Amino acid sequence: MANPRALDKRRKSIRNIKKITRTMELIATARFKKAMDRASAATAYTDRITQVVADLANAGLEVSHPLLEEHKEKKNGALLVLTANRGLCGGYNGNVIRMGTKRRQEMMNELSEVTLDVSGKRGISGFKFREVEMNQQFLQFEDQPAYDEVENIANAYLQKYISGELDRLDVVYTQFHSIAKQTAVVETLLPMGTLEGVPETEAKSGDEKQSEAVYEFVPSAESILEEVVPTSFKVKLFKCFLDAAVSEQIARMVAMKSATENANEMIKSLSMTYNRARQSKITGEIMEVIGGVEALEG
Amino acid sequence: MANTGHVTQVIGSTFDAEFPEDNLPAIYNAVTVEVKEGEKTRTLTGEISKQLGGGRVRCVALGSTEGMVRGQACVDTGGPVSVPVGQATLGRVFNMLGEPVDGRGDVAAEEHRPIHRSAPKVEELSTNTELFPTGIKVIDLLTPFVRGGKAGLFGGAGLGKTVILTELIARIASSHGGYSVFAGVGERTREGTDLWNEMQEAKIGDTGKSVIEQTCMVFGQMNEPPGSRLRVALSALTMAEYFRDSTGADTLLFVDNIFRFSQAGSEVSALLGRMPSAVGYQPTLATEMGALQERIASTNKGAITSVQAVYVPADDPTDPAPATAFGQLDAFIYLERSISEKGIYPAVDPLASSSRILDPQYVGERHYTIARRVQTTLQRYRELQDIIAILGVDELAEEDKLVVHRARRIERFLSQPFFVAEVFTGKKGEDTTIEDTIRSFEEICDGKWDHLPEQAFMYVGAVEQAEEQAKQMAAKA
Repeated sequence: MANPRALDKRRKSIRNIKKITRTMELIATARFKKAMDRASAATAYTDRITQVVADLANAGLEVSHPLLEEHKEKKNGALLVLTANRGLCGGYNGNVIRMGTKRRQEMMNELSEVTLDVSGKRGISGFKFREVEMNQQFLQFEDQPAYDEVENIANAYLQKYISGELDRLDVVYTQFHSIAKQTAVVETLLPMGTLEGVPETEAKSGDEKQSEAVYEFVPSAESILEEVVPTSFKVKLFKCFLDAAVSEQIARMVAMKSATENANEMIKSLSMTYNRARQSKITGEIMEVIGGVEALEG
Repeated sequence: MANTGHVTQVIGSTFDAEFPEDNLPAIYNAVTVEVKEGEKTRTLTGEISKQLGGGRVRCVALGSTEGMVRGQACVDTGGPVSVPVGQATLGRVFNMLGEPVDGRGDVAAEEHRPIHRSAPKVEELSTNTELFPTGIKVIDLLTPFVRGGKAGLFGGAGLGKTVILTELIARIASSHGGYSVFAGVGERTREGTDLWNEMQEAKIGDTGKSVIEQTCMVFGQMNEPPGSRLRVALSALTMAEYFRDSTGADTLLFVDNIFRFSQAGSEVSALLGRMPSAVGYQPTLATEMGALQERIASTNKGAITSVQAVYVPADDPTDPAPATAFGQLDAFIYLERSISEKGIYPAVDPLASSSRILDPQYVGERHYTIARRVQTTLQRYRELQDIIAILGVDELAEEDKLVVHRARRIERFLSQPFFVAEVFTGKKGEDTTIEDTIRSFEEICDGKWDHLPEQAFMYVGAVEQAEEQAKQMAAKA
């Protein structure tokens, strides 16, 4: 039978862990609400602007934009991986890192040069452990990513793409579908011609509209595209950050909830073993005393 | 004229007898009583264990006391119980008194020896320390046996102590040139029969001889009264000592189960009027164990290598009986319930088990380092287990994830198919050389086999077989 004192010590340490996980669960719940409001507010805008760009691209215009063009020769790729700064959120970071590592391998096979940019402490340490060299590291994104910061990053990518230093940009992040479902995904944001992320239903209705949709460009098509296309890219990238932030909070909430439950269960079973060990020790000692007395008398 | 007294009192499995005050039988002397059972009479042997004064002596009955009555004649045999020793005992099965019980007639032994003898003197003891390979990975790696040393198999009920012991007999005795002695102490009679049958089938190397021809067996199983169980180990030991001293051959002594020896002692202890000590055991627990274990020793004449199963009551290794046996052994193998629950056999606890010779001085630097690495990995895994149970494996640091990954593979790789368990596992036994064992564990620790699925490491010999098994699993899936 286990030593009661050791059992009690273990139980205490599990109680402490439980306190932490319970608190984290509550914090995550509060943060998740805010993050989700921001994300859902951005969703509508992102969807719309993506569609506009898609419509424009399909409108059969003669003019075109460098961001919509695929580079003929693909040499340089970049991979942006969005992870969290903190742990205690279940498989959230692990899934993204795993997917990122896989995609990086695929890109290495296709392209001659692949640079890796990572946001979040967890991802940085994860890739460091795997001995992968990183180009840029971002630590400033918490549960409410700021648009300005994302724009800076987006501008840098745009610059590189237009100047030909970059031929492809993939982003690995956790997409937020609903409170119950978030999945780690890879999206190719540049070149924009691929246009992933157009909502299907809208794309269909867009098809119908397309024939009728006649755009008039004032003052000119070029100037409109000049404005709309980069914005669309930035918004899309921003959306990735927002999704990642919401998913992180949900993942943490779920992970901490089950951790608290596990801890409760463990405390329960440890208490039972502890009580049993304590009782059997007492019984044993009483038996010995009684046995001794009887033997003395007998 | 034999010294005759009469029975004055019968208390459970002990009895008192009165002898002439000037001619008392000595302590440990055997006395006999003719007990009537219906038409027949049988001879009951007792052993003097206490002189009560006034001509009375207290005896431990070495058989059933049923049918005894006060006033019966009690004859002093003039010496302790003696058992036949020598070549004539080979291939035979005895009870504690040295009487054959296999129904093959009398034993024509040239010599009988008393079962109570003193342990070899210090200057006679052998100082050799040499590794004794068993071909079982977990034992060879973590708890290497000593040639001429003592190894103990500790474990609670149903963890496979007897299976490991039988396996060791199958492995060691069949490749061993010397003699083997098996002592069945207070265990199931059925197991004794199984063992006997198995030994007749098993052949020694390619000599064509069966193992039983080089073995003698002594049984005092759980149906026997405590006196018999208390002394049966001594009877077997006496036979083994003869082989050691007279033939100089390496002798193997298997004891299943040494705990029953202590238990039998505790059963008669109170009847003999001793005050119970910790957990109700006899106060002479350590003395009795010491007297037995000290005799199981290797001398400059020959070696006795012994393997003993030790039952651990209620899975509590701090219980006085197993704890007393523990100190006497060179190699200590602890079987753990949580491991057997995972379906990993032999269920050896790699962290609780140890061996005196797991030391670079004896096994070499490489063996020692690998064994420690395996233990460190498993130790870390065990520490992390609470965290994994609460937070999940995803929360671990990358280094720890790798430790867990390898520890789970090592844990499974410690299993091994047994020859005697072939009918259960459906796999033929694996004999793994020490070199293969060390290399396999080294490669797993180095991460060479990280890509194989955990299940591939179950019940294989060297690590290449794990690779093989992984391929088969992939082919099936």
